[in-house]
Amino acid sequence: MTDTTCPSCGAVAAAGAKFCESCGKPLGGDAPATPVVPAAVDELSPISAPTHRKIADSDVPSGPRPCLSCGGAVGPDGYCETCGAKAPTERDHFRETPAAWVAGVCDRGIVHSRNEDAMALLASEGRAVLVVLDGVSNSIDSDVASLAGAKAARDVLTTPFPHGMGTPASRTGAITKVLTDAANAANDAVVAATDPASTNPASATFAVAVLEGNLLAHANIGDSRVYWLPDGGTPVQLTVDDSAAQQQIEAGVPRAVAETSKEAHAITKWLGRDAPDIEPRTGQVELTGPGWVVACSDGLWNYASEPGAIAAQVAAAGTAVPLDLALALVAFANAQGGRDNITAAVARVEQNASEPATAGGA
Amino acid sequence: MAEFSATVYQNEFLPDGGTDVNAIVTVTCSGAGTAGQTGAGSAGEIIIVDTSGSMGPDTMAAAKQAAQAALAEIVDGTYFAVISGSNRAQLVFPQVRSGPAMVPMDAQARSYASEAIGRFHGSGGTAMSTWLDLAGSVFASVPEVTQRHAILLTDGENRENEGALSEAIGRATGYFQCDCRGAGTDWQVEELRRISQALLGTVDIIPEPAQMQAQFQEMMRNSMARGVADAQLRVWTPQGSQILFVRQVSPAVDDLTDRRVEVNALTGGYPTGAWADESRDYHVGVRVAAKAIGQEQLAARVQLAIGENVMAQGLVKATWSNNSEQTAKIDPQVAHYTGQTELAAMIQEGLAAKASGDTATATTKLGRAVQLAAETGNEEATSKLRKVVEIDDEKEGTVRLKAAVNKADEMALDTASTKTTRIKK
Repeated sequence: MTDTTCPSCGAVAAAGAKFCESCGKPLGGDAPATPVVPAAVDELSPISAPTHRKIADSDVPSGPRPCLSCGGAVGPDGYCETCGAKAPTERDHFRETPAAWVAGVCDRGIVHSRNEDAMALLASEGRAVLVVLDGVSNSIDSDVASLAGAKAARDVLTTPFPHGMGTPASRTGAITKVLTDAANAANDAVVAATDPASTNPASATFAVAVLEGNLLAHANIGDSRVYWLPDGGTPVQLTVDDSAAQQQIEAGVPRAVAETSKEAHAITKWLGRDAPDIEPRTGQVELTGPGWVVACSDGLWNYASEPGAIAAQVAAAGTAVPLDLALALVAFANAQGGRDNITAAVARVEQNASEPATAGGA
Repeated sequence: MAEFSATVYQNEFLPDGGTDVNAIVTVTCSGAGTAGQTGAGSAGEIIIVDTSGSMGPDTMAAAKQAAQAALAEIVDGTYFAVISGSNRAQLVFPQVRSGPAMVPMDAQARSYASEAIGRFHGSGGTAMSTWLDLAGSVFASVPEVTQRHAILLTDGENRENEGALSEAIGRATGYFQCDCRGAGTDWQVEELRRISQALLGTVDIIPEPAQMQAQFQEMMRNSMARGVADAQLRVWTPQGSQILFVRQVSPAVDDLTDRRVEVNALTGGYPTGAWADESRDYHVGVRVAAKAIGQEQLAARVQLAIGENVMAQGLVKATWSNNSEQTAKIDPQVAHYTGQTELAAMIQEGLAAKASGDTATATTKLGRAVQLAAETGNEEATSKLRKVVEIDDEKEGTVRLKAAVNKADEMALDTASTKTTRIKK
């Protein structure tokens, strides 16, 4: 008998074990695969590592896990046996830690009745993929669609970027194509998860950050964001929202005014059957020193929109552990009212600052 | 095998900053079977009859007849004994010299016991502590008897030093159950209620000797229908919370709050005694720390346990909301039983004030009782109140104390004060 690997968290489990000692999820692969997600391709990937989160994990796995509020045991009735807090479903609150330096938390928040945000992460030595989708809450089944979309995008990004013809321009073009492919895959998955008869088809935003060595590539559709927060440097918002607020900002309205206006959250582009087009805004940046990459939904940045405000919350969290930081950011948004679903995915970049900085955009 | 179910009635929505959660939990038992016949130990019955000198010839004759009728209701195979009580207690059946004993019921035992009851003779005083203590040692003589129930009949008040009865009640509590009946009007309602509440039984008045036989038959029949020997109500509450109260509110009001025994740090156990096929309602009040709007948490798990087995569980929840339409509603069951609990208190306090000559307090409290009985649709309470007060305005609770009240009517109002009615659907 050989040891097996947990399909959820990648931890090694003893042969014959029914549940993963690490994450508590059931072992044995009897979890039903989501139909819109293609079969696992990780085995084909040259960068596939044991730290990968595999694709076949169920959307709503069951199994005991500790209370999110106090760490106590959760009873079979779904409530903590110590503090009585209601344990969220796996869809309403999930965490991923594909590597020690990459983590994310996707949370229902407080006001919404379900979690339509989605997140899919991937990490191996020197490479990380953060995918965040925010299902539009007035469309049907957008919680199912957003998760399917996030996983589909991640699957496109399992292999390292191609190098093109070797010139910087052709590499940028090649990377832009892969990011656009990822957006299209996410869109296909969202559409596939939509009831063809639906008069209110599922739709979602899209934000991706891919770290490969010193290169940070990003893409977005809608108003989910990627921030780069260099240690001691000036924090920046890398993505540009497709939103009414952004249009107002570009027309000269101050950000604080635009983002709190009535139409602020109207997005001008999205994924879904009724999407206008699937052309993400993309960009690349060479990182020159240590810092944090943060990909998030508006459930977080609503409470800290300016890059400096996000950086201040990261500093306030006072932790170098990615999962603890993601949890702290989600807790911050919940403490502010949790009016929307919240996703915070972070990657810790530790590298020397000797490389020259070159930024490119598309 | 008996089955239990639990249903929770509550408005789980609390306003911003709200902390107090109220819920009615209805626990229903079905398939209870017959006492002592379910394989979980034997049942034991003891009939205790007051044979003090105060028992008049009519009462004594009726008591003999009633005790004999009760024997007929005891299912064959059930261990039983008969005790006569005066200033000391005597085991009149089974007649053994070796100490306390019980025998299984059969035709011959029933006939011998009936003869022994026929020889009851009234003399001596009333020392109820000795009656309870003898019943306890008689039950203890047969270890296989695990379901213990006694019927106690008296016609007078206890004549012992203060404290003797309380100590005996303490020794019997949790060991056997006891239904108490008072014959005539020379006994103390408060005294018998103290015994019956502690020993998880009922109390009632038997004003006329002719009514005694039917009462005894009913008590014994009810006891034999309790196929579940003993069960415990368990209430889990979250860390940092506070249990405000745990009350049985149907079929009668009985405050269980102080009878908590610790099951674990967060769970308390409360005695419920034996169960027949029946429903009982419990009112649970819990104070939890307020959470943010939109948060949901469990305020209590209310369980019915037999031994260590949890047979049924109801979940009492709290969800904070800023929607006043959700938070303002009081659950109809909670409102109903809150009123009925106050009704019981108003009747008892009103009658106590009346007895001490405080007419003003008695009028106010009994007036409030009339109002509550009307509001909660407790017609039995209304009709019993009518015999003690003149009702000027039922809705407003305006009453006058009647000049002449039949003592038995007043005692009947008192003994029935804790009986509740279920909400009218």
